[in-house]
Amino acid sequence: MWFLLDYSMFLINGFLITVEVTLIGVGLGLILGILAALGDIYGGKIIKIIVNVYVEFFRGSPLIVQLFIFYFTVPYITGLRMDVMMTAILTLALNSGAYQKGYLKGAMEAVFKDQLMAAISLGLPMWKIFLYVVVPQALRIVIPAWSNELASMGKSTTALIVIGVREFLNTGISITAQTFRPLETYAFITIVYFIWIYSMLKALDMLYNRIKIPGLEPVI
Amino acid sequence: MTTILECRELTKVYGKVVAVNNVSLGIDRGETKVIFGPSGSGKSTLLRCLGLLEKPTKGTILFNGTDVYASRQDLNKLRARIGFVFQDPSLFRHLTAIGNVMLGLKHVLGLSDNEARRKAYEALKLVRMEDWANYYPSQLSGGQQQRVGIARAIAMDPEVVLFDEPTAALDVELKWEVITVMKDLAERGTTMLVATHELRFAREVADEMIFMDQGQIIEIGSPDHFFTSPNTERAKKFMAKILG
Amino acid sequence: MTPLEQIIFLLKAVPITLAISFLSFLLGLGLGILFAFMRIYGSTPLRYFSDSYEKFFRSVPVLAVMLLLYFGVGPYIQIFKDPFFTSVISLGIVSGANQSQIFRSAIGSVGRSQMLAAISLGLTELKAMRYVILPQALFLAVPGLGSEIALLIKDSAYSFIIGVIELMKHTDILRASQRSLVLPYIASAIIYVAMTFPLATYLDKWGSRKKKELGL
Repeated sequence: MWFLLDYSMFLINGFLITVEVTLIGVGLGLILGILAALGDIYGGKIIKIIVNVYVEFFRGSPLIVQLFIFYFTVPYITGLRMDVMMTAILTLALNSGAYQKGYLKGAMEAVFKDQLMAAISLGLPMWKIFLYVVVPQALRIVIPAWSNELASMGKSTTALIVIGVREFLNTGISITAQTFRPLETYAFITIVYFIWIYSMLKALDMLYNRIKIPGLEPVI
Repeated sequence: MTTILECRELTKVYGKVVAVNNVSLGIDRGETKVIFGPSGSGKSTLLRCLGLLEKPTKGTILFNGTDVYASRQDLNKLRARIGFVFQDPSLFRHLTAIGNVMLGLKHVLGLSDNEARRKAYEALKLVRMEDWANYYPSQLSGGQQQRVGIARAIAMDPEVVLFDEPTAALDVELKWEVITVMKDLAERGTTMLVATHELRFAREVADEMIFMDQGQIIEIGSPDHFFTSPNTERAKKFMAKILG
Repeated sequence: MTPLEQIIFLLKAVPITLAISFLSFLLGLGLGILFAFMRIYGSTPLRYFSDSYEKFFRSVPVLAVMLLLYFGVGPYIQIFKDPFFTSVISLGIVSGANQSQIFRSAIGSVGRSQMLAAISLGLTELKAMRYVILPQALFLAVPGLGSEIALLIKDSAYSFIIGVIELMKHTDILRASQRSLVLPYIASAIIYVAMTFPLATYLDKWGSRKKKELGL
């Protein structure tokens, strides 16, 4: 496996791109997810329909198809050109937002349903209710789902090879093409993914265990 | 009289907590005994040990005179001969009332489907649940569930039935229907060991009452003895508290 | 090709996509139940093994596993030269880890008191599992298994990268042959949604209804 050392900078670069698109994708997805959840709870009929079509489309189809659509179809129809990284991040964010909407909505409703009246009866203004009552609870409910989302997004970024993003798995493909040693290369790549994603899961798990409150377990 | 189930110097320890401390006790054929005492006094643990659902830390359990754990007997076969009724009825939620009663008959006693159904129906009749035979547990009230739980235990024709506070989780108006069924059983000569706070039930049917506190037997006597003049201060206080 | 002909061409690939998903689901189901049981009732080494399996395959991308088996192992082991077989195996072993977790949590939520009640009747642990715990766990696992099938249908699209001729490959063929960038992708996306959406939604509803009925 030592031949891989010759490609260490190359591999590190690819790995950093993978981490980057994962974090940005999930981060932007969070914003989209919150908006979609709020739209589904408070929006009118049309907004609700838009949100649901968006969610079902991105949850129901493979990420690969979505990537092709934003790589080929959307620029073709709109005439807008984006570079590959932008396309990748946009698609990942939309994809992640659709998944995050589901549990964010659940978390918001769970907190709101029981306690909104109680909070209003105390005379708290809406923004304080949101800040002091909803967010602290919703966050705790959401963290386990969030760690799942990070892990599954991290794994999904491998799909980016189809539009040519030079992420971690793609560096493996290039190295294989040069060295003709696929077994060692892909085994190494797979193990690095495992170490990365497993430690991400473990870290969030530890965080969750530190801040969790009995009786406030997530309902997934 | 023959002693069916007996424990000698039984102790059960969980971590550092001594739940049952050096208890000896026997149940004879046809007898009804009531164990009572504050919650956490070890009644439940003692019953589970006697039901062979937990292994005691120390001491021996004898079933029909044979040491259960020393003689390398098949525990499952013995459990089938000791009925157990749980505080939360623990009915199998994927099975109807009659399905619950039939399970043990079929898969432990090896009865055919028809035989098991007939026998299960009889048991349901005894607890007056025959009209509910095809209902799922979630469609039954707590009292009805507990009666099915009793039917499930007695259908196996056990030599002794252990009741672990069978009415503790029930609303007042549902308790009586379970207690009535238990009284019927006692009057039919079923051998029973009942942990309960229902002292009126105890007064009417118990041959002997056992007062437990902090894992130990504090006092044993007839119902009359406990209702008129218990020896110990603890029993006196507890009786007063329960009877209000 | 007219748009209709293109859509028909896409639909012709659906059986292959479904075959990959279904076969890998079955493999995952077998592995999932096996590992869940090993984890809960096995001896220490078995528990450790199933725990590691679950952790590892829940943390690696299925596409990396696919490339590893096809390009890395394929030259040494004949069967992994076949892309269809390789993609079923890759999806299946990864799904096995997911399904193991689904079954573990389902068995866990059936509750210890059910086991105790079964044992009090004299049932052996194995019989208690067979007649009491597993039937209930299956109901509880249904919604999770539904989303797992949906996930497999979507992930089966990765197989086109190692050359399986399934829906994604047909989509790609259309793009190249028809020089069309709109219809193939949109139609293919809709076909995927049409396969996953009803399945996951229906099984989820059915599962929650059953759960409520039985008071699980």
